[in-house]
Amino acid sequence: METNVEIQSVDELPNLDISESVTEFTGTSGKYYAHEFGRVQESSSGYCWTFNLGSALFGPLWATARGLWGLFWVFSVLELIVIVMIGLGSWGDLGSDQFARAEKLAGNYERMMDRVESAIEQGDEEGAASFRKRADGLLKAQEKALAQAKEAEAGATRIFVAGLILLVLVKVFEGLVANIAYERQYTRWRTDKKVRSGFNWSNGILGAVIVSFVYVVTLMRFTSGNPPEIITEFPIDNTIYLQISAWIDYWFDIASRNFAFLFLGISRTIRIILDGVETLLVGTPWPVVMVVIIIFAYRSAGPRVAIFTAAALCYLAVFGFWQKSMATVALLGTASFLCIAIGIPLGVWFARSQRAYAFARPVLDLMQTLPSFVYLIPIIAFFGTGKPPGILASMIFGLPPIIRLTALGIREVPKDVVEAARAFGATDMQILRGIEVPLATPSIMAGVNQTIMMCLSLVVIAALIDAKGLGYDVLVALQYAAKGQGILAGIAILFCAIVIDRVVQGRFKDTEKGG
Amino acid sequence: MKDDVVIELKNAWKIFGTKADEAMQAIETAGIGKTEVLEQYGAVVGIADVSFNVRRGEIFCIMGLSGSGKSTLVRHVNRLIEPTSGEIWLLGQDVMKLSPSALREVRAKRIGMVFQHMALLPHRSVRDNVAYPLEIRGESKARRWNVSQHALGLVGLEGFEDRFPRELSGGMQQRVGLARALACDPDVLLMDEPFSALDPLIRRQLQDQFMALSEQLHKTTLFITHDLDEAIRLGTRIAIMKDGRIVQIGTPEEIVTNPADDYVRDFVQNISKLKLIYAHTIQVPIGDYVAAAGEDLSLSPRVSQDVDLDHLVDVAVTTNQPIVTTDEAGTEIGVVSKDRLLQGIKGGK
Repeated sequence: METNVEIQSVDELPNLDISESVTEFTGTSGKYYAHEFGRVQESSSGYCWTFNLGSALFGPLWATARGLWGLFWVFSVLELIVIVMIGLGSWGDLGSDQFARAEKLAGNYERMMDRVESAIEQGDEEGAASFRKRADGLLKAQEKALAQAKEAEAGATRIFVAGLILLVLVKVFEGLVANIAYERQYTRWRTDKKVRSGFNWSNGILGAVIVSFVYVVTLMRFTSGNPPEIITEFPIDNTIYLQISAWIDYWFDIASRNFAFLFLGISRTIRIILDGVETLLVGTPWPVVMVVIIIFAYRSAGPRVAIFTAAALCYLAVFGFWQKSMATVALLGTASFLCIAIGIPLGVWFARSQRAYAFARPVLDLMQTLPSFVYLIPIIAFFGTGKPPGILASMIFGLPPIIRLTALGIREVPKDVVEAARAFGATDMQILRGIEVPLATPSIMAGVNQTIMMCLSLVVIAALIDAKGLGYDVLVALQYAAKGQGILAGIAILFCAIVIDRVVQGRFKDTEKGG
Repeated sequence: MKDDVVIELKNAWKIFGTKADEAMQAIETAGIGKTEVLEQYGAVVGIADVSFNVRRGEIFCIMGLSGSGKSTLVRHVNRLIEPTSGEIWLLGQDVMKLSPSALREVRAKRIGMVFQHMALLPHRSVRDNVAYPLEIRGESKARRWNVSQHALGLVGLEGFEDRFPRELSGGMQQRVGLARALACDPDVLLMDEPFSALDPLIRRQLQDQFMALSEQLHKTTLFITHDLDEAIRLGTRIAIMKDGRIVQIGTPEEIVTNPADDYVRDFVQNISKLKLIYAHTIQVPIGDYVAAAGEDLSLSPRVSQDVDLDHLVDVAVTTNQPIVTTDEAGTEIGVVSKDRLLQGIKGGK
């Protein structure tokens, strides 16, 4: 390749001439900025002493007109602080409270002296003496208040002076940083022409409007003795709030009355499953359950987890948590089972249908972010208290992860594998069962694990609506500030969580190896 | 002759985009071009007015650069992609008129497909991968094992049936892909750049293996490639695609000696002609030669007019005489002089 540049030492290369593009960027005063930008670019640290008079004088207005909105906010906040200080110093009634008090005390003193005189006229020496004593007290208080008021006024002068000094400093700062910030904006603009450039009057005016509004309202708030209420309180009364909450109550009542059969049906179904699981865990003699759990842990996650499981189960038994923890596990098991049974088909559906997922996503977000206490309320309204509502509450929290991770897993199945299956004549169902679900299994199992953990965290909270279990012990301990009991029950919950997590993850790793 | 056509596409168009049908109408009525379709309808032309047929037992190569629409085209044959307009015939059936279940039946029994990135099922053993088409058809396990063993034998992968695909090298994986396509003994093989992802040495080995298999099995094959060398090595006929259109269809020799336009000429420029051009293409009729030069040809070596240039070069280095060519009956019909031979190697006639 031919070049038209003579090869020379890199150190001898002259600076690039950027004045033309800088002029295009700045619109006005291109020469000045080309020179200043050149100086900024020459400094090795990226900072140099360059002073922009326009920025120093007009601060935020210069920044908006030049399109530097970040700098605009910094400048206006700094100036706001300065203005409030100067305002307070010059016409803020700093001593006004104490002056008013002193005046009032003076009035009281006059009245007390009147009473002293009238007592002397009536010849009541004793009364006069006691009144005079009180009057002296008032006088002293009034003098003290006056002194304080004076001191506050003297303080005002100090604040005023400090404000003036700060003003100078802020202006110098504004002048110094302007060109450096503007040069960075110019560098960004070189690659992205959408970056704001030129001198824009309308932006400057917009900045002026914002600044004057903010300055004036803030000054009113800080310098006036009693600022107008409209700027301190949002001007609204709470009737709207009451009306709407009453309206929600009304619809809740109607819904719970008219759909009682539905809620009852859901409740009963959950009850039946729960009763089955509970009989299995609580009804079976504890040695049998214990041995089965330990062997299961050993088979799925190896000897170390099995030993830990044995220790954890002993803890539960020794501290008398056996029954309660089995009840908790039954709640948890039912909730997770229902989550998985509902969540996996939904996840498959959402993986297939972009539109359905777009609708479901905000709902899933809501389910996960709404504080649990908030959805306990409608659940109580519709389902009352007890274990089935507790399970429903856990499901609200536990469903999103399994749905999300199932959808994610199925979406991430390689497209070419699915296409190959289709090319060999597979039906949608064959593709789902033979390819998509097996390949999405790691993701689905991660979802199952998360769902179980989510359900567990809520099973504890569900004790609030009478779902019993270990959570109830923690709740009682909380109410009576019984530290020891609370901690022991808390550790029991922790052990349940760790054992379940380890066993499920052990199985999950197993399938990974096999897959 | 008509019965011998296995795959036939007639004026097939594929336009991608939400307004594909409107764009198609505009193309038909107003005859607008590719850029206008994109500007006015936001639609992309995948393949444009493609017609060709593939005869029984033939390896039909479609050659084009990436984005020329060749992978889109091959997916029309089994309707993995639906054409916007046009007809597709496979084994005498109108593919566009098949019901979903009949289409699945055709895909499962008539067509075997091999993919560029193998597309093996990562969670299944090699055996289960090869047997997958049979499994879809609901064949018994005994038969599946039996057939997959046979197919793995064809590609020389016995002993690997209980491994997982990820334990195999790229070349071996693609042989599994080929075995899978062959497992259900299809009438048609669709091969979508099967060897492109492999390194050159393995690619050559697999090409040889495929050619040997093909001679043995006589499968009608639609072979997609971006490599003209590969197309020339394997293809009975070659179609060259550019921007969704077929610019030339012909035998390798026709393409190399008679490129349809500059685009094709650019491609064939660096192709070695030694095995592509035959004596009958470059020979001068013996009567003309004798009349012009009047040389005595009695000492000249005799070769068949159907030998390629490679063979002619071998003969030419042993003698100073021009070479005389003969037809099947042994009659002398042409002469290849040194000048003609050298021009032929350069690609001229």
